[in-house]
Amino acid sequence: MAKKLMKGCEAIGEAAIQAGCRHFFGYPITPQNEIPEYMSARLPQVGGMFVQAESEVSASNMLYGAAGAGIRCFTSSSSPGISLMQEGISYIAGAELPVVFVNIMRGGPGLGGILPSQSDYFQSTKGGGHGDYRLLCLAPSTVQEAADLVQEAFDLADKYRNPVMILGDGLIGQMMEPVEFKKVINPEDLPEKPWATTGAKGRKPNVINSLYLDPEDLEKHNWKLVKKYEEMAKNEKRWEVFNLDKKADILFVAYGTVARIIKTAIEVLKEKGVNAALFRPITLFPFPGEALEETAAKCKHVFVSELSTGQMIEDVKYHLGKERKVHFYGRVGGMVMTPEELVEETLKIVK
Amino acid sequence: MPTVFVEKDRCKGCTLCVEICPHGVLEMSKEINAKGYFFPFAAKPDECTGCRNCVMVCPDCAIQVEVKGKVSERPKALAEKQVHYCPGCHHGIIHRLVAEAIDSLGIQEKTVGVAPVGCSVLAYDYFNVDMHEASHGRAPAVATGIKRGRPDLIVFSYQGDGDLASIGMAETVHAANRGEKITVIFVNNAIYGMTGGQMAPTTLPGQVATTCPYGRDVNLAGYPIRMSELLKELKTPAYIARVAVYDAKTIVQAKLAIKKAFDYQVKGVCYSFVEVLSTCPTGWGMTPPDASKWVESNMVPYYPLGEFKNPDKGVVKETER
Repeated sequence: MAKKLMKGCEAIGEAAIQAGCRHFFGYPITPQNEIPEYMSARLPQVGGMFVQAESEVSASNMLYGAAGAGIRCFTSSSSPGISLMQEGISYIAGAELPVVFVNIMRGGPGLGGILPSQSDYFQSTKGGGHGDYRLLCLAPSTVQEAADLVQEAFDLADKYRNPVMILGDGLIGQMMEPVEFKKVINPEDLPEKPWATTGAKGRKPNVINSLYLDPEDLEKHNWKLVKKYEEMAKNEKRWEVFNLDKKADILFVAYGTVARIIKTAIEVLKEKGVNAALFRPITLFPFPGEALEETAAKCKHVFVSELSTGQMIEDVKYHLGKERKVHFYGRVGGMVMTPEELVEETLKIVK
Repeated sequence: MPTVFVEKDRCKGCTLCVEICPHGVLEMSKEINAKGYFFPFAAKPDECTGCRNCVMVCPDCAIQVEVKGKVSERPKALAEKQVHYCPGCHHGIIHRLVAEAIDSLGIQEKTVGVAPVGCSVLAYDYFNVDMHEASHGRAPAVATGIKRGRPDLIVFSYQGDGDLASIGMAETVHAANRGEKITVIFVNNAIYGMTGGQMAPTTLPGQVATTCPYGRDVNLAGYPIRMSELLKELKTPAYIARVAVYDAKTIVQAKLAIKKAFDYQVKGVCYSFVEVLSTCPTGWGMTPPDASKWVESNMVPYYPLGEFKNPDKGVVKETER
């Protein structure tokens, strides 16, 4: 398929369709309305189904229903809406259903603002809803990567029977870049899901459920989920290392939009004689901690930057240990750092 | 001569069968069964006319009657597993009616049910069809997802009054208003049963519950919500009816309404809703027969029975009911 200039949100929608998804259940919220709007126009053209739910709570439960019936389905929302979806997400994780969620993050807490943010890192990587569970969490930093990761997310969700969260922000959603859809999947070619509720014909009834009244059973179920998360950690960690030859004066650690800004800052720093590198986690859960450790060992300073008051930095510190000083620079509330700000902060650290 | 068979160890001693028998055939035993309950036996077997009222009313499917060599059977869509409900709870009767409707329409292999949170949270164990367990109040949203994903399936939700009329009010109204092609079975017993008898949106004025120990004060809690009447006002839904199962006549009417509701879905007509007035002998603090009588004397005057909307008739006017 040829490259096309597309807005991030629309590319995310088209990527889902090209991944064989024909069902979208969602509720409007800024700054991601282009995704439901796009799906409401495109899905009927390809024999799909768009449902505007009465709330995000309801949308996430519609996904629970559709995914349980074996349907490849997804939704998108933004931070306050994702909070409302946590009920469904917890049940989906508990019942082990494959659903893809997209969070185009905006500033919080509460109603917050409508501008870009990365303040839902904890919510996405540490649980979000109630109970011991994890989402596989992917963070794109370009429109092309957003499209690629959305396509991959559906397969990962099916592979692990687990909800997958694409964590983007308003910038990724709103910017236009050339994009190419690498896969085209016909939903009819997707493998059967023998556990799904498709009507008990010639077999025992299937039940989609997250209730285990017997504590021994629930404990077993919890450890079974942990095994799955360990399996994800073994197979699915993804990251990018940028501008690291053998050694660097400073290692930036950032994901999503911030990583792009850092790439520009790295070029400016080069001119100033500072050799800076970037470690960009692509999977936020499982977090590529070992790769970060290895990379950080080659760098004098470590500098985390986020559009939050400091969330991912906790994972960075966890992996690098107490001995290692980790610098931090965050902008919040929809404010976005400039490359110049990052250069200035870097110079304070390296000089 | 008809013969009554009592599977005594399934019985929970509710005595509804003794009460409903028009000829006084059944009496309660003096001995107890394996569960520790007194159970019925045919004390006057010669009086039995084979009406099978006892079969219909038994919430635990513990009675069968043979008439002219034909023995009544447990519906195929009803699982063999014994229901966990309290003695005399109407859930068991309503489960049976839903299963009979599924059987009679021949749709067991393409039906998917959605269980709620509440006393019937384990309904997924009691129906012999594919099931989802939904979160509290969201069964209509879950049913929407299933039906939109697989329109060829017959999808129903089974919900109580706390689930449907309180926490799930938004999902209920919007699924109805979108005209989801699903069937909703709404079991209204005017109380939160499973959590211990708290006030529900359907608790009657003055009715005592554990969170309104002085009786429901309408100045603080408002009047109970009449869901059928509320949904009737929406233009989209096709079939809305309120029934009860407190005696033989109402059980037969309920059976017809539930079958109709499923049949409309089979025919592709949108959204059907059957409200079933039900008891909570434990939460109400009554014997099962007294609880059944209480439905008739206290609930029916506030929650009138009948069809409120019928796709063949449109909105049924007050005077026609």
